Amino acid sequence: MPSSRFNNSKRRWLFIGLLAIIFWSFQSIKWGKDLIHGGGYTTMLQILSAMVHPNMSLSILKLGLISTIRTLVYAFSGLSVAMFLGFFLSLCASKVLGHSSSFSKLRITVSRRLLGFMRAIHELVWALLFVASIGLSPIAGVMALGIPYGGMLGRIWADLFDNVDEGVINALNTSGASKFQTLIYGYLPLILPDMISYTLYRLECGVRSSTVMSFVGLGGLGYQIQLSLSDLEYTEVWTFLYMLVFLIFLINFWSHQLRRRLQYGL
Amino acid sequence: MVCNTPTKKKINPRNHHFLKGSFILFLAFILCSWYFIFYIDRVDLKDVFSQKNVAFTSQFLKRLISNGETRPAYLTVDKIKYTWMLMINTFKMSIIAITFASVAMFLSLIPFMQGHMIRSTSGVNTLLTITVKKIIQVTFLMSRAIPELIWAMLLVFILQPGILPGAFALAIHNYGILGKLCLEVIENMEKSPLQGLEQCGAQKNQIMIYGVIPIILPKLITYIVYRWEVILRTTIVVGMVGAGGLGNEFKLRMSWFHYTDVTLILMAYLLLVYLSDLISKSLRKAFQ
Repeated sequence: MPSSRFNNSKRRWLFIGLLAIIFWSFQSIKWGKDLIHGGGYTTMLQILSAMVHPNMSLSILKLGLISTIRTLVYAFSGLSVAMFLGFFLSLCASKVLGHSSSFSKLRITVSRRLLGFMRAIHELVWALLFVASIGLSPIAGVMALGIPYGGMLGRIWADLFDNVDEGVINALNTSGASKFQTLIYGYLPLILPDMISYTLYRLECGVRSSTVMSFVGLGGLGYQIQLSLSDLEYTEVWTFLYMLVFLIFLINFWSHQLRRRLQYGL
Repeated sequence: MVCNTPTKKKINPRNHHFLKGSFILFLAFILCSWYFIFYIDRVDLKDVFSQKNVAFTSQFLKRLISNGETRPAYLTVDKIKYTWMLMINTFKMSIIAITFASVAMFLSLIPFMQGHMIRSTSGVNTLLTITVKKIIQVTFLMSRAIPELIWAMLLVFILQPGILPGAFALAIHNYGILGKLCLEVIENMEKSPLQGLEQCGAQKNQIMIYGVIPIILPKLITYIVYRWEVILRTTIVVGMVGAGGLGNEFKLRMSWFHYTDVTLILMAYLLLVYLSDLISKSLRKAFQ
């Protein structure tokens, strides 16, 4: 353990370095009257005024409802693919299937690198790559959501598997349980609440990502928002945005309730 | 997340029904979604994996490596220098975004940090403070519910295209996310040190500075560094609507079908993500 005096001076240099980087980053913006371009003020006022009276006509509301359903559909399908991929990859990337032999070590390293690669690329980039390959099919959207989310779920679940209390697992192993039985009766009951909690958090992120992905043309709230924005119909944009906020609020409420009740044990 | 050995707990029957109901609802949603995709959108898996699509995909992958030009983009020095400059711009954009988001979040959390007086003296739970707190919570919700891409599209109309609209969009979105995370930290923190401070006679703002902030600061810094990593990954997305950086270049090159440039940009992007991973690991070691 380094002495606290050494630690303090290291922290001070780190802090100064951080301030220097922040200052250097801000230098690249040309502050001044060129910041907001010509029509900028007018546009900002238009957007703000549209915020207080969104478009409530029946056709827009129907369009919004169908788009909301479509967004939810892509989010759930993508999340199901992610759960499937993530579960199997997390088993490979954790110590559940054995961690002593060199083959196990290789398997763990390869799976973790694969999960990292799946996570690193943003779902919109995956969506663009899939659309360039298989065209504007909903399967492109589902896979583009499933692959990065599978990477995230797999990584967190693998960490959960690895941080489990060894006592229970050892007890099961010494009484002769097979690997599969250890998994079902040992690992899963211990970590299921945390798994569910994180999956619900991912569901909320998934609904937002599904909206973002409809920008590439797959239909849904994001697509409608982009169309209305291109027409400069700010009132319609705010109607769709309010629907999106309401949807996120509902899912957030549901996941909050579930997480609260899960704390009392399954 | 170390889990304890489960003991025999008496489960509240209401919770049990809610959990079972939620699980069934979740499964139902997933089944309905797949039904929607296959029957209402009429997706045919045979079409997706057809011969034509396989040919398209393999051609696309081949073009990512070499587009039939004399020198692929990722070996040209000029383009590498230009991409390097874009990487620096993207990095700057992420720093600006996280700075704005953290400072704004910190300022908005001051009302919440002050509400921890143990004896409820005047001015703690009045209507005014409750209203202010609810308004701030709604602001957090709206900022984080609207994806950063949409904020970026709105801001590009107002500000000059460049790195600023992207930075602002990411800052607004992450302001909401950081606000919610840190609010949970404040609500779940240990309050006994504050009780000690109050009994020694500390004022409201002294309790805040010497009591609340030292307790929540480590978790706050962890969340801020985590969001900085996510921001760095999202700058490519925000750049696609014109907000500058690698994303702008990516969109342009995809639309011009210059696929080798796309490979160069993707490599630069993965390098940036890997570097940010290293930086955050060393930051965490330095603060531990």
